[in-house]
Formats: sequence, C-alpha cells, structure tokens
Amino acid sequence: MHIPDGIVPLSVAAAGYAVTAGATWYSLRKINQQEDPQAGIPKAALLTSAFFVASWIHIPVPPTSVHLILNGLLGTVLGFYAFPAILIGLFFQAIMFQHGGLTTLGVNAAMMGIPALLAYGIFQLRTRFNLQDSQLWTGVFGFLAGSIGLALAAAIAFTILITTIPGNIDVAAERASITALIVAHMPLAIIEGIFTAMLVVFLMRVKPELLEGASTQKAAVASS
Amino acid sequence: MDIGLETYAKLDSPVHRWGVRQKLIGLAALIFAFAFIQDLRVLPAMIVVTAIIFAISRLPFPFLVSRLRYPGIFVLALAVVLPLFSGTTILVSLGPLAVRQEGLLAFLLIFVKFVCILTLSIVLFGTAPFLKTIKATRSLGLSPILADMMLLSYRYIYEVANDLTKMQTAMRLRGFRAHGFNKRTLNSLATLAGSLLVRSYERSERVYQAMILRGYGRAKISYEEFKAGTADIMAMTGVIVVAVGFVLAELFLRGVIGG
Repeated sequence: MHIPDGIVPLSVAAAGYAVTAGATWYSLRKINQQEDPQAGIPKAALLTSAFFVASWIHIPVPPTSVHLILNGLLGTVLGFYAFPAILIGLFFQAIMFQHGGLTTLGVNAAMMGIPALLAYGIFQLRTRFNLQDSQLWTGVFGFLAGSIGLALAAAIAFTILITTIPGNIDVAAERASITALIVAHMPLAIIEGIFTAMLVVFLMRVKPELLEGASTQKAAVASS
Repeated sequence: MDIGLETYAKLDSPVHRWGVRQKLIGLAALIFAFAFIQDLRVLPAMIVVTAIIFAISRLPFPFLVSRLRYPGIFVLALAVVLPLFSGTTILVSLGPLAVRQEGLLAFLLIFVKFVCILTLSIVLFGTAPFLKTIKATRSLGLSPILADMMLLSYRYIYEVANDLTKMQTAMRLRGFRAHGFNKRTLNSLATLAGSLLVRSYERSERVYQAMILRGYGRAKISYEEFKAGTADIMAMTGVIVVAVGFVLAELFLRGVIGG
C-alpha cells in the first residue's frame, strides 16, 4: 500500500512532504517537552526495528496470506514517537527494498502516520474513561485503534492514487473504484483490528508499561 | 539476514569518492527534478543522464536489476490497467479490449520516471556505507532525535530479524503450522509479534544504560570527515545545474516560460 516514485505529480509529493514536516515537527516538539527526551530514543528506535520486522509476519488467509501494516498498533505503543518511527520505517523500506519511494516518502508517511496518531488518541481514551484495568475494554480499544488506523490509511492511499493517475478516467468511475477498493480492504481492517486487540491484551498481561504510550518515558527516566 | 544495500558500498569509483553531503544534495535535487517532469519529450534526456551517472558509479547492472524486480510488480500492474482503461484514442482493439493511446503514454511516463528515480536512489544509497550517509544528513541539519533513532533502528533491524527467525523456528519445532485462518493461529501470531516487541523493549533498556555508561549525549560530534574538496563541490554544482536544466526544459515545453 505504498505509493512508489514516479506515479504522483510533484505537487502531490510536495504536499505530502509539507504535511509530514508539520507532523514531524509537532511530534519532535512533544518529545522535547518530556523531561529527558534522550531516554526515549533507544526505546523508540528498537521498537521501530521490531515493528519493521513484525510487518514481515504473514497471516494465512486461504487461499493467500496477508501481512499486517500495524500502524494503529505503532501509534498505540509509541505515542508521539510514532510519526518519526513511521517516517524512518518507510525510509528504510524505500532504500532497502525499493518499496515506496524517496519522492513519495512524505505522502506515504502522512498516509500511515496521521492515522497512527489518531489510533494513539483512540487508545488513550481507555485511560480517559478509567478502563485500563479491563482486559475486555483494552481489547475493544485495541481493535478500534488497529482497524481505524489501517482503514484510514487505505482510504487516503486509494484516493490519492485514483485522483492523480493521469488519463481521462471519468469522475463517476473514479468514485466507484475508490469505494470498491476501500470496501475490498474492510476485511483487512477487521483482521488488523482483531490482531491488534489480541496483541494489546497480550502486552497488557506481559508488559503493561508498553501500553502507557508517551507516559512510559517518564517512568523509564524515574527508574534509571 | 543480508539486505544487500551495502554490498557494493566499498567499490572505487568517482561516485563512491564523491563527498557524501554533496552527493546527497546533488542527487536529491536531480531526483526531485525528475519527479517534476510531465512532458514525454524530456524522457530521453532523463534516461541518458541516469545511464551516465549509473555507469560512472560502476555498480554492477545485475545488482540494479535485482533491486528493481520487486517494486516492478506494482508498475507492471499499472501497465495492464492504464493502456486498457484510460483515454479515448484507440490504437489497437482485440475483441472487447482496446489499447488506448493516452493510457499508453501515461504509462510510459510513469515507467521511465520510476526506473530513473529508483536507479538514482540506488546509486545515492548504494555507493556509501549507510551509517555514513545518516551522519551526513545529521550534519546537514536533520534533527538529532531522528538521526539517532535512525542509526539505532538500522543497527538493530538485523538483531530483531534474527530474533524473529529463532522464535518462528521454535514455534515450528513445537508443532505450530500456520495454515487456516482461525482464532488459534491468529492468537499465536499475535503472541509472536508481541514477544518481539517485548524483547526489543527490554533490549532497548539495556542498550540505553550501556549508552549512558559510554557518555551518550555528552561528547561533541565532529563532522571533520565531511570536509569537502573542490571536486566534490564542482560535481554537486554540475548535477544541480543539470537538475535545474530539466525543470527549465519542462517549463519551456509546457509553455510557462519562453515561447
């Protein structure tokens, strides 16, 4: 679901970079406001590698298999480090596997990263409503974060692709194909949601501090 | 696991010897100039410039082909869709299918841009050790938080990938077979991904403590190694001039400037 080089016009690529620069600036500012911003770097970096590698795990869905994007989960676990993490992950994919592209890095990072920040916001509602001790609600918020994260990213991707592809495709056909592609991705969003829900419940049992998002950094600083 | 990006990073060629910072600026300018092109008449020049830079870099051709193969699948899908469904001028019709001129030309534009931009980015990142390239971006003003995160994640991708392989082997040895889509399989895989996150998190705490012990964040970073010579700067200026030339040619052909 990455947009490769050469497909979208430079204006779209530039707009993508502008959005990404803004989101990165905002995230870095939030990170710098923490007591010791450096303390969070190794954690965020290693989790970036872990998410990068975890996206290679294939889920069998006969007759084929799908791999997960995990951008919703990434937002849930990394908080404000999520946007830089996604930017770095996509940059690595572009230069290591030629998956995505350098000119479209901004577009791709915005498309994956903004839903991730939204997923973080959704998952934080769990603490807002004081439901963090309930396994059921943790799972429900995990599901919402995972599925909305992916569904939104897919919707943005197809809208960009179809509206910028050159040639004279008429508007009705354009709208119909965007809708069709988004509907086709709904089952994937549901799988992603279930997977995220199972994973956050696992983390809640094994390593609950991973789910505390940005507040973990303070805890880490306090303990070191 | 070997990603293979750096296989030819230590060759000896003018592109390899080119200062990393100047190479980054020059080639990035050219890549974005290429992304700007919408006029088919500029494409031959684009191919020639890319071919010259690739030839100077002395990277082996099979290396390029092997790296282009995977993303090529996506572009091939467009090759099927665009000429058949986009446009009104029919060139050849085969029963219900018709190859349309506008779609074909649109595909040609996308294909050439795609190959040229990717080739340049492979030259950019394949001709210097990756860590040096990141250090160069940092010296050019990239946020230290981003640069440090990038260095550390790159360093640990290999370790984490080894962890994943080991855990998958262990799962298979204990009788796990990932066929069939059901709750059990999904739960096992979620636990696998979760364990990967927990392991990396725990490792990151040890890494951080080790870094603090070695004075992380205290030492001043020196960028002496990036001192540019005249040749580095001349090469960068030359490539930027070419990039500007492409943009001007495109604007001229669009009728924005000149006739």
